[in-house]
Amino acid sequence: MADDPAKECGMAEHIAGLTNGSEQTAAGRQKETAEPGRSADRTDMERYSRQIRFAPIGPEGQRRLLEASVLIVGAGALGASLAQHMARAGVGRIRIVDRDFVEPSNLQRQTLFDEEDARLALPKAAAAAAKLRRINSGIAIEEHVADVTSANAAALAEGVQLVLDGTDNAATRLLMSDVCFALGIPFLYGGAVGASGMSAALVPGETACLRCLIGGDQEAADAGTCETEGVISPIVELVAALQAAEALKWLTGRRESLRRTWISASLWPSEWREWRLPGPSRDCAVCGRAKPPAESGLPMERAEAGLKRLAVREEASAAPSPRPTAGPIRAAVLCGRDTVQLTLDHPLPLERIEERLRADGCIITRNPWLIRAETGDGRRFVVFRGEGRVLVQGVSDAEEAVRGLTELLHQPNEEGVTVR
Amino acid sequence: MSRAAFDFRLYAITAESCHPGRDLIEVMEAAIRGGADIVQLRDKETPPERLLGQARALRELTRRYGVPFIVNDYPELALEAEADGVHLGQEDMPIAEARRLLGEDKIIGISTHSIEQAREAVRAGADYIGVGPVYPTPTKPGRPAAGLEYVRQAAAEIAIPWVAIGGITLDNADEVLDAGARRLCAVSAIVGSPDPEAVSRELKARITAREAGHAADAAPPAEGPIRLRLNGRDTETTARTLGELIERHGLKDRRIVAEVDGEIVARSEWSRTLLKAGAAVELVHFRGGG
Repeated sequence: MADDPAKECGMAEHIAGLTNGSEQTAAGRQKETAEPGRSADRTDMERYSRQIRFAPIGPEGQRRLLEASVLIVGAGALGASLAQHMARAGVGRIRIVDRDFVEPSNLQRQTLFDEEDARLALPKAAAAAAKLRRINSGIAIEEHVADVTSANAAALAEGVQLVLDGTDNAATRLLMSDVCFALGIPFLYGGAVGASGMSAALVPGETACLRCLIGGDQEAADAGTCETEGVISPIVELVAALQAAEALKWLTGRRESLRRTWISASLWPSEWREWRLPGPSRDCAVCGRAKPPAESGLPMERAEAGLKRLAVREEASAAPSPRPTAGPIRAAVLCGRDTVQLTLDHPLPLERIEERLRADGCIITRNPWLIRAETGDGRRFVVFRGEGRVLVQGVSDAEEAVRGLTELLHQPNEEGVTVR
Repeated sequence: MSRAAFDFRLYAITAESCHPGRDLIEVMEAAIRGGADIVQLRDKETPPERLLGQARALRELTRRYGVPFIVNDYPELALEAEADGVHLGQEDMPIAEARRLLGEDKIIGISTHSIEQAREAVRAGADYIGVGPVYPTPTKPGRPAAGLEYVRQAAAEIAIPWVAIGGITLDNADEVLDAGARRLCAVSAIVGSPDPEAVSRELKARITAREAGHAADAAPPAEGPIRLRLNGRDTETTARTLGELIERHGLKDRRIVAEVDGEIVARSEWSRTLLKAGAAVELVHFRGGG
């Protein structure tokens, strides 16, 4: 590559360019320790000795953890904390997906990130993966810089034993709950805003799905978000701890110990409530017809298969079109964030866009995954490599964002814009 | 489990002899998963001191699912195993004595076989009563059935929670509900089934469906407001169902989680969930940040 952006910012050891680069990274690593089916060796016994000594886990539980695979959706505050718990516990394969990049306002609570990550505007999934590899080099970490949509959700979840919820919006949670109930994978919900949070393990065949509990897509927007109501880090850690504990129970084979309740907790003022979860709703197309989870650990091959399908899909869409053509732009206002996410049906030519933005006098930050440009009038464009996805900040609505992007691409907005 | 908020719909009772070769805890867990919302340990054959292990295991199980756990006959065992209460027979110690042993917080239920016994139990301060046996039952050989007539009498008169018991199966559950029962107890029909979860689910569904039917055609508008606890505050409402209550608070289209007496209610059940006087209702905004 003529200009390897990875080298430029000293991140050459990380994925170069594409979101599915974890395969390359794993292959390039010295120690292939996370082989499916491998049993805990003596080093592992020492490393994990304190949790092995915890009787309900024991050596057998640890062996299962090392063979386990999880998907963590979202690498923000909850996701990063969850990822850290899973990595330190020795979960053999951790797949992380996130659409966002690190900003200074994240550092107050998103424990895996530091100032350098924010300065470089690293994608959260990539920054998290880098930290996690330093925490535990004996497990496989797969990062995906991507928006979770109905197009990729099933492929991301396929073959993992658990899906851990680190998302920041109800729509993605509902999508993941649907996918999990269809695939027979428990979904460990967690959410936090202000000083209060909630968590529950939703298990296909045993409990109702998220849609039955909080309502479907037609319901009004989320009541409050971390951006509108603020959030303190202790509640995030509390909720992540609740989720992580259930994850350990499930992955070590102690399914009978799973907490069958919905916890609603507040740290300020202090309050703790716990309610039984209803069973599957007979009339619900999601949980009424859910596939129950497999009896024991899932074969890793299925996780591999899901990943491969995903890689193929990502590769297919990774080649940027030589010139941006007119096409539909999907716009999503990221809840409470003063950010609009625009998605085109093809990847964007980053180098050309960067050239154009530099000429316009923008301040450019670039890394292997994206470029960020700050315009003179206070707007920011974050263009992701290989994705056709742009985050626009400092605009008041989707129309303004689309206008900004089309100007940027010299592309008249001929097509209808769908705002979702 | 506080006595004040105590209520239930489907009562499951252990009977190890009904499922030879299968683990008691597994069977009861299946029953709970299916919808049993109160569990009783009953074993008349084994001395209480040998039941402690089982009682503790059931306590752990029921705690995990948040359902009340009741011990048959033995207040000391109930205390030792941290059960929520005891169930007494007519031949066991009087309610007053059990109350003295157990303190004010524990639930005390008693079996009754006639409306006279039921009235006496209410006077004596029972938290709930068993009404039956509705049919002759293999778990109580020799006891004549009290019949559906007693169920009708109880329905007309008894204000505290009461549960129809004795020989109830999926085949006759509907006529027991027709006679006015709102809570059912099944023993061998659940634990003797190869699929206790499915039987429980079906029984619970019949009970719930019946409640919904009553919600639809009952509740005359002349009836005054009922008192309940909403988000920890005493409140009066003329809403008859959870759905109406939520609508009146302008929360119908908001992303909220609704809970009644310790269990979350799925949205599809909101309009079918009757509000009972004294119910504890919590409406909480879904937390979506991350």
